[in-house]
Amino acid sequence: MTFLHPLALLGLAAAAIPALLHLFERRIPPEAEFPPLRYLSEAERQSARRLRLRHVLLLLLRTALIALIVLAAARPLVPTPVPMRRAAAHQRTALVVILDNSLSSGAVVDGRPVLDRLRAAARGSLAAAGASDRLWLVLADGVARAGTRDALLATLDSTGVSPRRLDLTAAVRDAVRLVNAEPLEGREVHVLSDLQRTALGPGRAGVTRGVRVLALAPASEVPANRGVGSLRVSDGAVAVSIVGTPGARPAAVTLQVRGREVGRGLAAPGSTVSIVLPPEGPGWWVGEAALDADEVPPADPTLIGQLNRALAARGARWRLGSGGTPGPIVASGVVAMDGIPVARRYRVDAIGDASRSKGEDSTVLATVNGEPWLVRDAGVLLVGSRLDTAWTALPAAPAFVPFVDALVNRLARGEAPVSEVEGAPGVEFRTRGGDTVGAMVSAPDPRESDLTPAPAALVRDVLGADVLDAPALGAARFAGGGKSEASGPLLILALLLAAAELGVATFTR
Amino acid sequence: MADTTRIDLLDPADVARLGGIEIVAAGVVEGFLAGIHRSPFRGFSVEFTEHRAYQPGDELRYLDWRILARADRLFVKQFEEETNLRAMILVDASRSMAWRGAPARLTKRAYADRLAAALALILLRQRDATGLITFDEAVREVVPPRVRAGQWARLVRGLERTPDGAGTAAEAALGQLTSLLVRRGLVVLVSDLLFDRELALTALRYLRHRGHHVIVLHLMDPAEAELSAAPEVRLRDPESAVSVVVRPRELARAYRDTVRREIAAWRITCRRHGIAYHHILTDLPFGMALRLLT
Repeated sequence: MTFLHPLALLGLAAAAIPALLHLFERRIPPEAEFPPLRYLSEAERQSARRLRLRHVLLLLLRTALIALIVLAAARPLVPTPVPMRRAAAHQRTALVVILDNSLSSGAVVDGRPVLDRLRAAARGSLAAAGASDRLWLVLADGVARAGTRDALLATLDSTGVSPRRLDLTAAVRDAVRLVNAEPLEGREVHVLSDLQRTALGPGRAGVTRGVRVLALAPASEVPANRGVGSLRVSDGAVAVSIVGTPGARPAAVTLQVRGREVGRGLAAPGSTVSIVLPPEGPGWWVGEAALDADEVPPADPTLIGQLNRALAARGARWRLGSGGTPGPIVASGVVAMDGIPVARRYRVDAIGDASRSKGEDSTVLATVNGEPWLVRDAGVLLVGSRLDTAWTALPAAPAFVPFVDALVNRLARGEAPVSEVEGAPGVEFRTRGGDTVGAMVSAPDPRESDLTPAPAALVRDVLGADVLDAPALGAARFAGGGKSEASGPLLILALLLAAAELGVATFTR
Repeated sequence: MADTTRIDLLDPADVARLGGIEIVAAGVVEGFLAGIHRSPFRGFSVEFTEHRAYQPGDELRYLDWRILARADRLFVKQFEEETNLRAMILVDASRSMAWRGAPARLTKRAYADRLAAALALILLRQRDATGLITFDEAVREVVPPRVRAGQWARLVRGLERTPDGAGTAAEAALGQLTSLLVRRGLVVLVSDLLFDRELALTALRYLRHRGHHVIVLHLMDPAEAELSAAPEVRLRDPESAVSVVVRPRELARAYRDTVRREIAAWRITCRRHGIAYHHILTDLPFGMALRLLT
């Protein structure tokens, strides 16, 4: 239990007043003659036990009454049940919220950028702060922004993915220095990061006693990531080094010069692929190397689960299931697609009552063997086959052009236009409606491509932080967080005791 | 509704302001005898003693028609009852009797004096030999029982001469009293009975054994029956000087119960031994106290 006004506890000494009055009472009562003293003595003798009990009871009640009032004045904080924690109070705290919005926070996991998750946690920390707290917000640029809760929340809401890399160790070290300079009862640092192993700088943060460092645990499943680490041109060839999650599958690299593809290669993270340049004349030539986007639906069935989770995160009520039987396409809404054979396909299964939904957002556009093959739901267009001739003859069929036209102009763009939004330098997000469907990252710090999180033990060792998931972080923030002031209940209890004291004093005569 | 013209029914303290013991007792007796219409003790024997003014309610057969015819005034004849009654009134004059719970009330002693005087007057009027003994820790005043003229004045003087006692060990005095009451008769003890009940009862039983008709008038101030005082007070026994600090509010109920038990114990014990017992609060009008004796 903590107290907002611990000095008030000195008043607990007053709880001894009733006992001291009882023990050291030196009052001289008025004296009077009373002849039938023998009756009085007899009455006193017969009532001695009752009176002793009454006196002890009154002594206890009065002592407890004073103690409760003093405790209420000290404004104690007690753990609050989780459903009631929104209105909880806490001791005055100096808090630094470190939001790691570096490039890696732009990774899309289950259909959402990691930054969204981090930002929600940061918002929770700042929103739970009180007027008497001292607050700072540290972003990937490493600058500590002091401000009020509302001002920092506004800053938080406008924060996007930064091309910078944040050294978490240095950030925590600086944050600890900041909170230690404040003469407040509570000192906390909340680290909201994907906790990349590569984000932990050299050395240790050096967390001092009395400072609590809480870190949000990374998502349980982090996607394997790949990126172009560097390009080196020499001897008529370009050496493209691929960085990213160790062990990730090789990815196709496409090299373009003056907007024209000049070569392709395949490389896994940690390796380098050399692509021969075509002969060009002298001068400056602008070129780029890019990794191919991930395939949807994936050719590898083991990736189906990840895709389905992303669909569910967006609210789609359809998912890819097991492999379906070959058959012709039946599509009433798309011209000339009927009868085109499908050799390979995943079954498109409805979740819940999606198949019965008649709404605009849940429509079966084409079927194969009576089973959905092309569906639209919650702004998502889901095809059961890859648009590859090994899966379906559609790309080679005359109906492909009308299909693409319908897909781009009517089914997708016309109803849920795809827009491109420029992100921070080096990052370009591709969004569709309110969803982030992809990101193009250019010239990142190679360490940002490896999304592998640091183990909790390492984080604890380097940052001195307790690694907690979001609910646990919410419960632990602000000196144990989730505490509410118990003055009110204590005063009510004191009132009840006062009533009990009055009752005992009145009715036990 | 009480008759406010009869002083025997007025508040004892108010009546006491009319004068000394003599005047008050005489007035009380007059009112008392007039009120009860028939004398409680007096019979109508053949031996004429005196006339008195007719009071509404008197039987017409005792109206003296000759005086009515001669003087046109109503008088009734009274007759002396033959009696050998010897009455001795014992008045407790101990220190505790000189106490009152409120300034507006009589002390128990003052009440006892006036009640004893009134009782003596009634007895003397019916020609009973009446005497008086006052006592505290010793016998203070003894007026032998006589029926002669001036006896009542002697009794009153005896009461007036007896100061309030300095202490009490009434049990010893009661023992001494028994030796003074040789001839059997009526013994009336007027006391607050604040002494050892068993020892006192031993003396009273002895009197009863000797053939006396014993009446105990237990006087008590209303403040002695119900405990009420300051939140905390040191109460001191005026006789023993023993004191205790009490919170009357805490003990009020237990005290009231104790007093009731004590009164009940006196009543039961006295009845068991053929002793008449009457509990009288000092705010009870004298007439009503006397009526208890009828």
